[in-house]
Amino acid sequence: MTQGFIIHNRSMMRFIGLLGLFTLLVTLGSEAMGTGVISTSLVKTLGKTLCLCLIAIAMDVVWGYCGILSLGHFAFFGIGGYAIGMWLMYARTETIVTESLARQVIPPTPAEVTDAIGAQIFGVVGSSDFPVIWSFADSLILQLLMVVLVPGLLALVFGWLAFRSRVTGVYLSILTQAMTLALSLYLFQNDSGLRGNNGLSGLQNIPGFESTPQATISLVFFWGSALALGLGYMLFAFVVGGKMGSIVQGIRDNEARVRFLGYRVEGYKLFVFTLTAVVSGIAGALYYPQAGIINPAEIAPIASIYLAVWVAIGGRGRLYGAVIGAALVSLLSSWFTGGGAPDVNLGFYTVQWTDWWLVLLGVSFVCVTLFAPKGIGGLFDYLIRKPR
Amino acid sequence: MLRTLACLLIICAVAKGAAAQTLQPILQTHAAEVADPSRGSVSVVLDDLVASGLPQVPTFLERWSDKGVWQNTADGQFYYGRTDGDDLALTDIDTGTQTTVDRAGYTELRPNGGVRRVIGTALVQFQLSDPDLGRRQSAIDSIARRPDADQLAPLLASIDGEPDSLLRARKIQLANFLSASFAGDPADRIAAIDSLSRDTSIEARAVLNQILTTRDVVATDAPDGNIARILTVGTDITADQAYDRLVAADLAPAAIPSAAVRDALAANITDGRVGGIPTAQLNTEATRAQAYAALADRGLVPPRLTEEGRAAAIAAHVFAEVYTEDDPAITDAARAALSSVETRVAAASFADLTLDAMSLASIYFLAAIGLAITFGVMGVINMAHGEFIMMGAYTGYVVQQFVPDYTVSLILALPLAFAVTFAAGVAMERLVIRHLYHRPLETLLATFGISIALQQLAKNIFGTQARPLTSPSWLDGAWVMSDVIQISYIRIAIFVLALLFLGLILYILKRTRLGLEVRAVTQNPGMAASMGIDPDRINMLTFGLGSGIAGIAGVAIGLYAQVTSEMGANYIVQSFMTVVVGGVGNVWGTLAGASLIGSLQKGIEFLNPSNTLAAQTYMVLFIILFIQFRPKGIVAQKGRAAAD
Amino acid sequence: MKKTLRTTAVSVAALLSTASVAWAQDCADPIKVGVLHSLSGSMAISETTLKDVMLMLVEGQNAKGGLLGCELEAVVVDPASDWPLFAEKARELLTVNEVDVIFGNWTSVSRKSVLPVIEELNGLLFYPVQYEGEESSKNVFYTGAAPNQQAIPAVDYFLEELGVEKFALLGTDYVYPRTTNNILQAYLMDKGIAEEDIFVNYTPFGQSDWATIVGDVVALGEDGKQVGVISTINGDANIGFYKELAAADVSADDIPVVAFSVGEEELSGLDTSNLVGHLAAWNYFMSAETPENAEFIAAWHDFIGDEARVTNDPMEAHYIGFNMWVQAVEQAGTTDVDAVSEAMIGQTFPNLTGTMAEMLPNHHLTKPVLIGEIRADGQFDIISQTEPVPGDAWTDFLPESAVLISDWKELGCGMYNTETETCVQLTSNY
Repeated sequence: MTQGFIIHNRSMMRFIGLLGLFTLLVTLGSEAMGTGVISTSLVKTLGKTLCLCLIAIAMDVVWGYCGILSLGHFAFFGIGGYAIGMWLMYARTETIVTESLARQVIPPTPAEVTDAIGAQIFGVVGSSDFPVIWSFADSLILQLLMVVLVPGLLALVFGWLAFRSRVTGVYLSILTQAMTLALSLYLFQNDSGLRGNNGLSGLQNIPGFESTPQATISLVFFWGSALALGLGYMLFAFVVGGKMGSIVQGIRDNEARVRFLGYRVEGYKLFVFTLTAVVSGIAGALYYPQAGIINPAEIAPIASIYLAVWVAIGGRGRLYGAVIGAALVSLLSSWFTGGGAPDVNLGFYTVQWTDWWLVLLGVSFVCVTLFAPKGIGGLFDYLIRKPR
Repeated sequence: MLRTLACLLIICAVAKGAAAQTLQPILQTHAAEVADPSRGSVSVVLDDLVASGLPQVPTFLERWSDKGVWQNTADGQFYYGRTDGDDLALTDIDTGTQTTVDRAGYTELRPNGGVRRVIGTALVQFQLSDPDLGRRQSAIDSIARRPDADQLAPLLASIDGEPDSLLRARKIQLANFLSASFAGDPADRIAAIDSLSRDTSIEARAVLNQILTTRDVVATDAPDGNIARILTVGTDITADQAYDRLVAADLAPAAIPSAAVRDALAANITDGRVGGIPTAQLNTEATRAQAYAALADRGLVPPRLTEEGRAAAIAAHVFAEVYTEDDPAITDAARAALSSVETRVAAASFADLTLDAMSLASIYFLAAIGLAITFGVMGVINMAHGEFIMMGAYTGYVVQQFVPDYTVSLILALPLAFAVTFAAGVAMERLVIRHLYHRPLETLLATFGISIALQQLAKNIFGTQARPLTSPSWLDGAWVMSDVIQISYIRIAIFVLALLFLGLILYILKRTRLGLEVRAVTQNPGMAASMGIDPDRINMLTFGLGSGIAGIAGVAIGLYAQVTSEMGANYIVQSFMTVVVGGVGNVWGTLAGASLIGSLQKGIEFLNPSNTLAAQTYMVLFIILFIQFRPKGIVAQKGRAAAD
Repeated sequence: MKKTLRTTAVSVAALLSTASVAWAQDCADPIKVGVLHSLSGSMAISETTLKDVMLMLVEGQNAKGGLLGCELEAVVVDPASDWPLFAEKARELLTVNEVDVIFGNWTSVSRKSVLPVIEELNGLLFYPVQYEGEESSKNVFYTGAAPNQQAIPAVDYFLEELGVEKFALLGTDYVYPRTTNNILQAYLMDKGIAEEDIFVNYTPFGQSDWATIVGDVVALGEDGKQVGVISTINGDANIGFYKELAAADVSADDIPVVAFSVGEEELSGLDTSNLVGHLAAWNYFMSAETPENAEFIAAWHDFIGDEARVTNDPMEAHYIGFNMWVQAVEQAGTTDVDAVSEAMIGQTFPNLTGTMAEMLPNHHLTKPVLIGEIRADGQFDIISQTEPVPGDAWTDFLPESAVLISDWKELGCGMYNTETETCVQLTSNY
C-alpha cells in the first residue's frame, strides 16, 4: 500500500527531491558552512518561508481539497508559536535569574526564583505574577505537546460546533475569521498573561545553546523546517491521495450528495480541519523561533486572508501549488518592501516599489482569480499536458 | 460679607484719587511672580492687587488670564499686547498709550490653568454684577469651579438684580449648592440639601458627596464624632488592610516582609551559619523562619509578627469611618438626598447607556447596510466594502479642501461621496465581480485584492497622516438632557442618517420597480430574466447602491472619528458580523444585527468599564456562539432562497 | 557667525559639485547610516517623518563635509509595521548592508524585537521616542524621554498647579501605557491619592467610539474632586477622543487632559479650536522660541518642500542623537561600535529648546520637560519648562525596579541591583 502510494505519487517524489536539493544548496552556501554566499538573515527568511509553505499546504488541503475556506488557520499557527515561545522565554529567563540569584549570600527559595522570573518576563508589561497558562512553561516536553494539542483541541471543538450546525460556505469563512479575531483581541489584552501587544520576544536565543552562533542555529531550524515540510507534504499527499481523498474532494464538490451516499460528512470535515490545524501549529512552532518574536498582530484576520491568497495564486487542489504560491508571494513581498526592487522612473513620476508593491499585489490577486483560476500550478499543468 | 463690603468701600474711597495711582509699581514689586505665576503662590499678588483698589485691576486680571500681557525682557515692564505677525501692538497698562514694537524683545505671559482659575476667583467680586453678560457668566463659572464660603453672600446679593433669566436660574442653583455646604444655620443647610434630592447634576452630587466625606479612624473603643459606619474586618475591609491601618496609626509594629527577613539573615552570618543553620540550607521559607526566630531569641532582630498576634491586634481595635461634618442631622439629610439622587442617576445612566448603544448600533448599521445589500441580496462577498467607506470619507475631505464652508461642503460631500463610490462599485461589478458570480469564495479573494490595492493607493495619494474632516459648527456640542444623559449632535445626525437610509432602502426594495426587479433576481435570476428583467443591469445597480451607501457611511464615520487609509479595515469584520448575525438578505435583519451587537458591546463595556478591548473580545466570542446556534441569523430566510 | 559662513560656503560648494565631491582617499566605502522606520502599515503615519528627518540630517552632514572625511550614506529599509520584520531588517542592515549605526523604531514592541539582534551582532541603535523605561541595553541609546522625563513631571504639574485630586488614566492597550500607568499609579498613591480616585481604562488601537468613556470621565467629578485626565492614547484614536471631548463640551478648565502621545503631528489631523487649553507634555514643542529651533524648522521646511509640515519631539530626539553620534565618531576617530559607545557617554549637544542635552552613563539623555497648552492653530503654548532632567532607565516608583540602576561607564551593567550589588544581566530585558 505505502509502496504503491509512493510510486504512484510522482509529483510528490519530485517535490521531495527538489526540497532535498534546495536544502543541500542552502546548507552549502550558508555562513555556518563557511562559504557565506547566503547570509544568515536570508537563511532565516528561507527557513520561515518553508514554514509558511507548510501551513499553505495545510490550507490547500482544507480549502482546495475539502472546500472549507478557513480564514482562521493562522490562529493555529500562532498558538503553536506561543506554545513554544513560552518555554523559550521561561527557560532563557530561568538561566539568567538563577545565575544572578546564585550570587546572593542566602540561597534563594523556590518562590523567590519564580517571582524573579515572573518579574523579568512580565516586568516589561507592568506586572510580575505568573498567570495560570504558564503552569507548564518550565517543561519543554509539555510545551511541545501543547504545540500539537491546543490547536488540535481548539479545531476539534470549534469544528464540531460549526459542522454540527451545518455552517457552510461563506458563513463558515466568517466564523473562522471571527475565531482568529477573538483570539488576537484576547491576546492583545495585557491581562491575557501572554504579554499583550508585546508578545513573546527574543525567541531566537535557544536556551542551552547561548554560545552557539545564530548562523548555526538558523541552519538547524532551516533543516527542521525543511524536514517538517517534507513530512507534511507526504502526510497530506497520503491523505488526499487515497479513498479518503476522493470522499473529501466529493464533499468539496457536492456535500449533499456525499451525505446521501451514506458518508458521515461532518466526521471527514472535522478530521481534515483538525489535522490541518495541528500541522499549522507545528509550522508555527518552527516559524517563530526563527522570526524571534510572536505577538497578537501575527494572528490578526488579515494574515489568514493572505494565506488563502497564497494558495489561490499558487493553485488550489494541488499541494505543490500551495508551496509555489506561499514561497513566491512571501519572498517577492520581502524583496519589494526591502527596497530590493529598483525604482522605475516614468519621467513624470517615479514608482517606488515600497509604496506601490501592495497595489501591484492587490491587482495581481484580481488578475489571478479572473484569468487563472487554477493559479500558477494550473499553468504548470497546462504546460505539461500540452505536448500530449 | 464684611470683607466684600470693605472692598467696595475701599474701591469707592480710592476711586477719586485713582488717576494718580498706577498699577505698574505694584506689578513690579511682584515682577517674578507675575511673569511666572504658580497656583500656590499667586494669591499674594492677587491680594495686593485687589487691596490696591485700582480701577485698572479687573481689566489687568482679565487680560493676564487671557495671555494678553507681555513683559519687556530688558526692563521688566508689563504691557497689554497683541501680536500682528512679527510686530507687537503694546498698550500701557496705566496710561493706555499705544505703541508698536518688534516682538523679539518681549515675552508673552502664560499663566497656567490652575493660576487662571485662582485669578477667576479673584475676579468674581468685580464681575458678579457687571453689566456685561459674558463677565457675569464667567464669574459664575469661577464660583462653580472653586466654591468658597465667602462667595455665598455676594452671590445671594446679586440674584435679585440679575436681568438674564437663564443666568438667574443658574445663580439660584449655585447659591443653593453653596448654602448646602456653607450656610451658617443648620436648618438652612438642611433645607438646601433637601432641595438637591431631585438634582442629578454632577455638581449637586459633588456637594452632597463633599458633605458626606469621611475619614478612617482606628481606636481601641468606639470612636468619637459623627460615625458613618463601623467596619467589620473580613467583610468591609480585609485583615491585611486593617492591619496596615493599625501600622499607619502607630498602634502596631509593621510586618516584616520576607525580603527583609532575607536581608536580616544575610547580615547575621557567623561562620557560614545563621542562628545555627548553615546558609546553604536557607533556601526554604521554613528554615529561614527558623533561623530568624533563633536570631530574634537572641535579640539581634525584632521578632516577627505571628498570625495570632496579628489577629489579636486587629480584634483589639475598632475600625470606623467618621464624617468630617459633625452635625448628624446634616449628614442624615445629605445621605437621604444622595440615595434619592442615586436612584435617579442609575435610571439616567441606563438611559444614557441605551442612547450610546443606539448610536453605536446606528454606526454599525450604516457601515453594514451596504454590505447587507451586496452580500445578502446578491450573495457576493465584498471585502473592499471597507475601502468604499474610506473612499467616501476621503471624498468628504477633498470637498472640504475646495469648499471652506463646512455646512455647504457637508451638503456637497454626501451626494458626491455617494456618486464616487457608486461609480467605483459599478466599475468593480462590471470588471471583476460579474465574472465570478458562480464562485462566491473567489469574489472574496478578488475583492480582497482590490481592498489592499485601494488602501495602498489612498496612502500614496493622501499620505499616511490622518486627515481632518470637520463637522459644521451646528453639529458641534451635545444634546444635554442632564449631566448624565447626553449625546453629541454628530451621533444624533448619524442616527437620523441611518434611519433615513433604512427608510430609503425599504422604500426602494418594497415600493419601486427597481426593488421588485432586485427581489426577483435575488430569488431566481433565470426566471427573472425570462420575464424580461435584465439581471446584469439589476446586479450592477444593486452593487452600485450598496457601495454608494458605504460612501455616505464613510462621510458620517469620518465626522466623528478619524479619516485614515485604514479606517475601512476597522469596520469590515464588524460589518460582516452584523450582517451574518442579523440574517442575510434582509434589511430588518441587518438592523437587528446592528442593534444586538451595539447594545451588547455597550452592555459589556458597562460591566467592565476599564477594559474596552475585553468587551470586544467577549462580543466576538458571543457572535461565534450565536452563529453556532442560529446559523442563519436572527431574521432567517425561509424557503428555497435559504437552501444555500 | 564664522561657523555659519563656513557652513554656507561648504554647502554651496557641495551644491555646485554634487556629483563630484571628492571624499578622502582612505574612504573606500561611505559610512552607512541605517534607517529602520516603518514606511508602510499602521505606524507609517508617525515613522515616515522620522525617516525624512534622518535623510535631511545625513544630507546636511554631507554638505558640511561628511564625517571623518567620508561621505555618509543613508540605508533606508521598510519594516512595514510588522514587528518580526524589524528583527529581520535589523539583521540585514547589520550583516548585509554592514551599517555603522541604526536610527530607528517607534513602538516598544518593535524595539524589543530588534534588541536581541542588535546585541548579538553588536550594533548601535538610536531610539528616538518617549518610552516606558525598565530597560537598558549596551547597544542602544535612548534619545526619547524616560517616564521621569515626561510622565512624572506632568503629574506633578497636575497635582501642584492644577490641584487635580482624581485621575483618569486613559491609554491604548499596549506596553507603554500599561507600564507608564503602573508607574503613575504607584507614584500617585505615594503622593496620597487613594486607589479609588484613580480610574484606569484601556482601549484598543484605532478606537473610535469614545462616548461612553468620556461620559465615565465626566462622571468622576461627582464627589466634588477636581478631575484630570492623563492620556497615553496612541495615534489615530486620539482624533475620535478629542472630537468626543469637544462634543461633550469638556473644557480644559473643568477637566484638563494631558497627553503623552499627542504632538503637533497628531493635531494636524483635527480642528483644535475646541481643544484649546488641553495639555501635552514633551521635551520639545515646535513653538519653542530659540535660534536653533528656527534654523531646524527652516531646514526641515526646505528639505520637505512644504511649509505646512510640523516638527515634533521625536524629530528633535533624532536631531540630538545624530549630532551626538557625529561628535562621538569624530572623537573616537572611528565608527567602531565599542569605541563610539564609549565616546557617546558624556557627549553634550544643544537641544532645540535652549538648554544642553547630555548623554548619561545609562544611555539616556538629560532633557527639559515642557508642558504645552493646545492653541487654536494646532500648536502648543509652552507654559512650563523645567531644567534638563536626567533620564532614569529604571523607575524609582515600582518596588522591583527601584533597586536597579544602569551604568555602562563605571559598572558596565545595564541592570545592576544596588541591594545585592550584583549585575542581574548584561543583555537587556526583552
